Amino acid sequence: MVKFKTAASAYKTLNGLICVYKPPCVPVKQVLHIVKTNLCRDLNALPDRPLEQRVEIIGSTNEPMKVKVVPNYADDPRVCGPRYIIEDFKCTWASHLGLFTSGVLLIGVNEGTKLAYKIKSGQPTRAYKVHGQLGKATDTYFWNGKTVERATFKHVTREKIDKVVANMQAAHQKTMFEQSGLQMDLQSTYELASKGLIRPADNKLPVLYGIKCVYFDSPNFTLEIQSVNEYDKYLWTLVHDLGVQLKTAAYCTGVQCIRQAKFDVNLALLRKHWTLEHITDNMNTCQEILDENEQLIKPESALLTA
Amino acid sequence: MALTATLFKLFKGYSFRTTEISSRFCSALQHANNTNSILADKGKTKVEALSPAVEDLSTITPYFSNTFNLAAYINQSKTLKNLVDLNVNISKIEKKPYIVERFLKLDFEKDMKNHIIFLNNYIDMEDMGNFLTKNPMILCEPLEDLQVRVNYLHSKDFEENQIQRIVMNNPFWLMFSTIRIDKRLGFFQETLNLCGKEVRYLATKQPKLITYNIHSIKTNMFVIKEEMGFEENEVKELVLKKPKILMLNQRSLFERFNYIHNTMKISHFTIQQNPEILMCRKFRIKQRHLFLEKLGRAQYDPKKENYIPIKSLVEDSDIEFCKNFAKCSVNDFNMFLKTL
Repeated sequence: MVKFKTAASAYKTLNGLICVYKPPCVPVKQVLHIVKTNLCRDLNALPDRPLEQRVEIIGSTNEPMKVKVVPNYADDPRVCGPRYIIEDFKCTWASHLGLFTSGVLLIGVNEGTKLAYKIKSGQPTRAYKVHGQLGKATDTYFWNGKTVERATFKHVTREKIDKVVANMQAAHQKTMFEQSGLQMDLQSTYELASKGLIRPADNKLPVLYGIKCVYFDSPNFTLEIQSVNEYDKYLWTLVHDLGVQLKTAAYCTGVQCIRQAKFDVNLALLRKHWTLEHITDNMNTCQEILDENEQLIKPESALLTA
Repeated sequence: MALTATLFKLFKGYSFRTTEISSRFCSALQHANNTNSILADKGKTKVEALSPAVEDLSTITPYFSNTFNLAAYINQSKTLKNLVDLNVNISKIEKKPYIVERFLKLDFEKDMKNHIIFLNNYIDMEDMGNFLTKNPMILCEPLEDLQVRVNYLHSKDFEENQIQRIVMNNPFWLMFSTIRIDKRLGFFQETLNLCGKEVRYLATKQPKLITYNIHSIKTNMFVIKEEMGFEENEVKELVLKKPKILMLNQRSLFERFNYIHNTMKISHFTIQQNPEILMCRKFRIKQRHLFLEKLGRAQYDPKKENYIPIKSLVEDSDIEFCKNFAKCSVNDFNMFLKTL
């Protein structure tokens, strides 16, 4: 842990990317607000610079006047307000997580907002754990919706889920090449494709690279999904589709982002750790990861590496 | 940095007229007129314009222009300086321009000194700054009214230390007329069926409750009584134990109760015995409960073995909680939190 001597030096180091764990049912905007207010609180608690001095020339003008140096009241934090306020911090997210999604969230602070933007435009892959339950379908495909259908699910086994999930994965990989924006009958396309998976050209269309069922205990199951450009509602519909293909009904009970590019859940800061010391620590670790993996910021080819 | 940002919090330029400054301003104008006429006279006798001035010009000061914050005035105003020395946070007061407008017309010696001496009977000098920051308008109230309001408390058999606590913990108490305070004390006595001693206890324990928004208190009473299903005497006991329960947000209070009662299966009686679990944010209770449940330790019944007191869900830091009740290291708890 770094111990800061003055608030100014601490503020100067606060430029970069941090990785926090977003709890479910807390909007990203509120996460940013909490981070900012916590930073302000901790910075204002650190030792402040000395008060400014003020030169006063007093006395009547037709006699020799006195020059005095007095403390400047206007510089007192009690008068001009706290040294650091929320507006001093710029914060933005590298990829948005929905209200009910929990998990790894990358936040750019101050100069780091540019990094966040670059990571976002670099289309990083994200890994999710999507929890679902069989036997019930809701109108929003999520637990917050109204139940619209109930179905039996006794016939569903681990093997059947695996089969359907593998089918889905194959279908998505097929569309991956179609969405890559490449002409299908070119030599260069062949060479690119022969190396492995590729990113889509569009940044709107979701592409899934891998779906796997990692846990099944009827009626609950968990899928692990690696994807690009996805959003929370898309993952909910995926669970619904899975239910339909398994000849039953299913709805999503939770979405958790476990990895964003190279930043995984072990790195993420919990809500109680969103303090100045932890954040600066985390910022350094994130910077190290970014230095090691330059392709995160400037991807050179459409090839999927991270 | 902060200063420039506060500059943006524009408030419509109010004219700055402490008596001290306006008088100085008037005299400056007068003086300027005099010098003009003198200069004009001298101009006739062809005295050089750049010759050194003979008379005292130190009373001439520039006019105070409109400003975004009080920091611009403070070096010229003795009153404001005195307040800062009392530890009053001027930057918080200036957030409300309508208060500043009235506040600036006061003079320290004339209007504030006696008030502060009076308040010093009930508040320590260290807390005075905090008190005046919260409620600067008390300096605009007539001193006799404040005395009457304190006398009212004496007449209602409040003890001296109780009155001190009330005045100190609720800076707005003395702003309320005796009629309103009487009505409000009556309201609590009636709705909660309190005896005189209990009313005094309630007012001393949480003085802010008495001056709180009555509508919101009524809604909270409804939530506790009808939605949560506590009995009349249980409500009374709850409120006497934790008066703040009536000042919470109704929705979050009910959500909290819903989780504790319906998901964790904690009975009304236990909640009534440990009302502090209703004061804690839901996510904190939830994460500790889920962790205990995962460990198979979520057993809140004192009559069975491996009993975990319900209070432990809200008290202490996570480290203490893990050590004493979950019997594992904090890292395990942190790992668990990352799976939620």
